[in-house]
Amino acid sequence: MSAYRLGVVVSEAVERLVNLALYLASSRSARSAHECRAAGLGYPEDQDDTTFNRMFERDKDALRSAGLVIDVVEADNSDAYRIDADATFARLIELDSGERASLKAVATAFIEDPGFPFGHELRSAMAKLGTIGEGGPLATAELAHAASASQGLDARAFAEAVQARKRVAFTYTNAAGEEKRREVDPYGVFFREGSWYLVGRDHTVDEVRTFSIARAREIDVNPARPRTPDFERPEDFDVRRAELLPFQFGSRTFTARIRFIPDMAWRADRLARGRGELQTLPDGSVIWTIEAADVNRLASWIVDHGPGVLAVEPPDLVSRILGGLRAVVDVHG
Amino acid sequence: MARRLDSATRARRLLALLPMLKQGETIRLAELASAVGCEPAEVAADLATLSMCGVPPFTPYDMIDLAIDGDTVTVYADAPGMDRPLRLTLGEARALGAALDAAGHEPDSPLREKLRLLASKDPSLADLEHTVRASAGPGGLAQTYSLLAAAADCHEKVHIDYYTGSTGRVSERTVQPWALVNRLGVWYLVAFCEAVAEERVFRLDRIFHVKPLGETFEPPDLVPVDVTPGADGLPTATVRFAPGVPAPDTDAWPGSTVRTCDDGSTLVTVPYQTSAWIVRRVMAYLGDVQVIDPPDLRAAVGQAAEDALHTIM
Repeated sequence: MSAYRLGVVVSEAVERLVNLALYLASSRSARSAHECRAAGLGYPEDQDDTTFNRMFERDKDALRSAGLVIDVVEADNSDAYRIDADATFARLIELDSGERASLKAVATAFIEDPGFPFGHELRSAMAKLGTIGEGGPLATAELAHAASASQGLDARAFAEAVQARKRVAFTYTNAAGEEKRREVDPYGVFFREGSWYLVGRDHTVDEVRTFSIARAREIDVNPARPRTPDFERPEDFDVRRAELLPFQFGSRTFTARIRFIPDMAWRADRLARGRGELQTLPDGSVIWTIEAADVNRLASWIVDHGPGVLAVEPPDLVSRILGGLRAVVDVHG
Repeated sequence: MARRLDSATRARRLLALLPMLKQGETIRLAELASAVGCEPAEVAADLATLSMCGVPPFTPYDMIDLAIDGDTVTVYADAPGMDRPLRLTLGEARALGAALDAAGHEPDSPLREKLRLLASKDPSLADLEHTVRASAGPGGLAQTYSLLAAAADCHEKVHIDYYTGSTGRVSERTVQPWALVNRLGVWYLVAFCEAVAEERVFRLDRIFHVKPLGETFEPPDLVPVDVTPGADGLPTATVRFAPGVPAPDTDAWPGSTVRTCDDGSTLVTVPYQTSAWIVRRVMAYLGDVQVIDPPDLRAAVGQAAEDALHTIM
């Protein structure tokens, strides 16, 4: 087909889709396929029934993917279609200047960032909100490590599989350099410090595991029955539980208490990242009670985030910091 | 050059344009193009297509009534039945949620609550918050982010209290917020700091108080958005990592170079802006890392560790 003819066909199809949307949206009653065909919306007059039905189904799917909720009702022994206005159209909301500016900034930053997996949808969401025009704060993003910028695309593929609950297979290289093919029921994806991660049940070991998406390749999503889920996600699954802090990796967990002196108390909320419990003491200091699994890494974390951040419990954490600082003095003496 | 889109994708863009075309308004094509993410010429073509659309019986009164004049479009009648924006699809709600995660707006934040009212009624929507997270970022960031984004948007000076991680001190500054930059999940403010009369980069999670001052400034034509400090002209340190201790990557220690020694230890050469920064990095290794050179930095690490011991004991 010539480029010119292709352009004409696309233009005709676009007009037909918009006409169909307007026709269904402005009709007070449901419309049958026959009425849509006869309404002059752009369906070719010389088309046979089979071809029309295929085209009509495709058109409804296209409108649904744009966000129109098309109900099917029975009328005169055949299906008829109408737009569910409440489910299709958004109500108007008021955003304050900070909220609008926040939205504009994150959109400006992430829409063009290949490390952000959902740039295309973010753009269309912002179009619906009508918040991107000219202007807005200058913002940019480089979310993923430059060496693995393509992980944005892979994270998107996994996120789609999470949503559709389709099993995935991929070749994975672990931190020790061992390569293995994995079959995983994907439960969730999350981002942390330049990397995207997948959480899911690994059928190779029958355990829920976390995988760095940058280490996955040859990703296949089960193509069979794409609209039928392959598995049930555990009801209590929450991907936030997999977002561990650096000192929470390990099997022997313990409870640590960390004190932020009064001048540094404001940092507790920032550094806790919603984990554990924060308690403000009468002197203005804050105690953070948090589960940990690696005393060495927690000791290092506390020293790295000091001064004004102090270990309280357990005793071996305090000892590790004291011993470590003495070692620093020794090697630099 | 205009991209060739399939009909469904282009129809989606046209449907997104419709609610923006308000009766009686004259709108710049560039504004519409920016809103839907395409070129003004593509929007002009979209509008021309829309002007051919309508509802039966397709009299002039049943068509989308608009006229393009140069770089603007004037709308004479709302589109029949489509004068309100469509609800966000599941994918669009996921994208917005993920982007706002990264700016510290947790799922229960007022902004996320409002946007939820706009989203599809698909029951899967509730799953998104448990299955997709774009940030494990610091808590309490949303308000700082909103205030700085609004100030950068309208070129308003702000007063900030800033914690300098390397020194552990808080300073008060008046800054002209130029840009927000996200690198590897961390947000930075690029701003002109009036105290030092120079451009400075501030980590948002270290700004704990922001006060808009109601005073505007003129932003520069070109804002530098590289938040990674350049190594040119900076002093360098040589640091030895004990055998078995992994050397940091260049994201953690920008500009560093690594050499493995015969005994399994690693020598890292790294440029540094302030000695306080590298002192704290080295201390955090709790004796597994040793500054070899320069001698004054080596002494500073030893002294800082003694001070920390004194504070604890």
